[in-house]
Amino acid sequence: MAGTVPDDDPGAASPAVARIGAIAWPSFFAAGVATAVFFALIDPVELADIAWPRVPVPREFGYTIGFFMFWGATFGASAFTALLLSRPADRRG
Amino acid sequence: MGKPIATVTVLHADSLYAAQPKIYPREIGGRFARLRIVAVFALLGIFYVFPWLRWDGRQAVLFDLPARKFYIFGLTFWPQDFFWLAWLLIIAGLGLFFVTSVAGRLWCGYACPQTVWTEVFLWIERACEGRRNQRIKLDASPWNANKLLRKGGKQLAWVGLSAWTGFTFVGFFTPVTEIAREIASFDLGGWEGFWIVFYGFATYGNAGFLREQVCKYMCPYARFQSAMFDQDTLIVSYDVARGEPRGSRKRSADPKALGLGDCVDCLACVQVCPTGIDIRDGLQYECIACASCIDACDEVMDKMGYARGLVSYTTESVSTGKPRHLLRPRTLAYATLLLLLCATFVWGVGNRAPLIVEILRDRNALYRLASDGSIENSYTLKIVNKTRSSQHLHWAVVDNEHARIVGLHDATFSTDDVGSLPLTLRAEPGALSGMTRIKIAVSDDAGMLTTLQSAQFYSPETR
Repeated sequence: MAGTVPDDDPGAASPAVARIGAIAWPSFFAAGVATAVFFALIDPVELADIAWPRVPVPREFGYTIGFFMFWGATFGASAFTALLLSRPADRRG
Repeated sequence: MGKPIATVTVLHADSLYAAQPKIYPREIGGRFARLRIVAVFALLGIFYVFPWLRWDGRQAVLFDLPARKFYIFGLTFWPQDFFWLAWLLIIAGLGLFFVTSVAGRLWCGYACPQTVWTEVFLWIERACEGRRNQRIKLDASPWNANKLLRKGGKQLAWVGLSAWTGFTFVGFFTPVTEIAREIASFDLGGWEGFWIVFYGFATYGNAGFLREQVCKYMCPYARFQSAMFDQDTLIVSYDVARGEPRGSRKRSADPKALGLGDCVDCLACVQVCPTGIDIRDGLQYECIACASCIDACDEVMDKMGYARGLVSYTTESVSTGKPRHLLRPRTLAYATLLLLLCATFVWGVGNRAPLIVEILRDRNALYRLASDGSIENSYTLKIVNKTRSSQHLHWAVVDNEHARIVGLHDATFSTDDVGSLPLTLRAEPGALSGMTRIKIAVSDDAGMLTTLQSAQFYSPETR
């Protein structure tokens, strides 16, 4: 750990933190909305009964898997957009 | 007062991202700081206390995901009522637009979870590491026992608060007393444990680590709030005409004789700013309208014996000498829409159907031929009793004299009960042909809760 103020502090924004934030947060938000809408209409237990009738899937597990599935998809899309929008100059930073 | 000020170093002239030194917001008291403390206590009070309130022998506010039912005090929401929850979110969004158009970024400065939790994390930081100058010195000093103790204590308190926040958050979705019992007996379910850690981690990361960067780089509201602004919206602004030319002077000196404006260039407004901007440069999107700079400047103006308000909450109209209009097309439109949405919500939630009845055809055979030649169709009758009391319900065919229900035709459903019962319809031989829609009425003994639902009845074609 360096002794100077800005260097040793994780709070200082690096371009990487800002970029990851700009990908993670909107995708998290969109995944949250998608999860809420999807599971308001579909009971994960009933879905699991159709998909894997032999594996017991509790609702909490269904919700969690569903959320991360949505987040995976939205995160991928956001990351792709960020990649397409970034120019070589940004990537050097 | 000649401390180096936080500046934003731009990496590339046209880059969105900037590397910046750490911001050490200086503590400040004053009118708006007091207002924020009130807001923090009220909002976090609601968050931390609500899961523990009881109502009718259950948790008062519980979004019971495992049971797929939401309880908000006296109201119960079912998955079918999701529409109204979405409606509520639209109301909240429009409410934000309305407040923004009238009073600017009030939300950011006083009510946003990001602001509220960051404020509490800053209190902890202040309690452990001292005031702004002490914090800067501590960060610059080499590691020793004192630094380790102060930094360690802060981290411990932060992690503790984050964990409690995660626990409370999950307590909104799973009965909080249950989780508390599970934790006390080291028997926490995997998913609850996971979400407590996840949300605790998010709190720690956002309020302890990212802070103003969330507002600058991640918040969409910061980017589109200007669409709701006009020249009559309250903003935090610096009175350039009165302040400039800025410069330091003795308290006894006459600024006019020195050719100076009222700004003594003490940088207090910059040091208190949680996003590290200089309000004297004009309105910037980083400004979360927390009004710390107003408090700071007022304090300095008081000391100098000048009038307050060099930095103040004002509107573009007022600062250019025009009158302020509170009622204008934009605010009126938002307010009307908001009232309409609220009224619809209250009416809609108050008039939700007390019973949900669904008749689902069994998927195996179209029809069954009984030994006497009559035709039978079988269904599953789903009934949800959304009333607050137990109901004795019976059901019958209402619009077809040829078909009747055989077997079970009444049952008792306790409150919040979701019942699935077999239902069989029988038609006389040759009475019906092809597909017939048959209406079935489900009603209680008093006939107050009658719900009609139709079923498709199939019989052999007789022509």
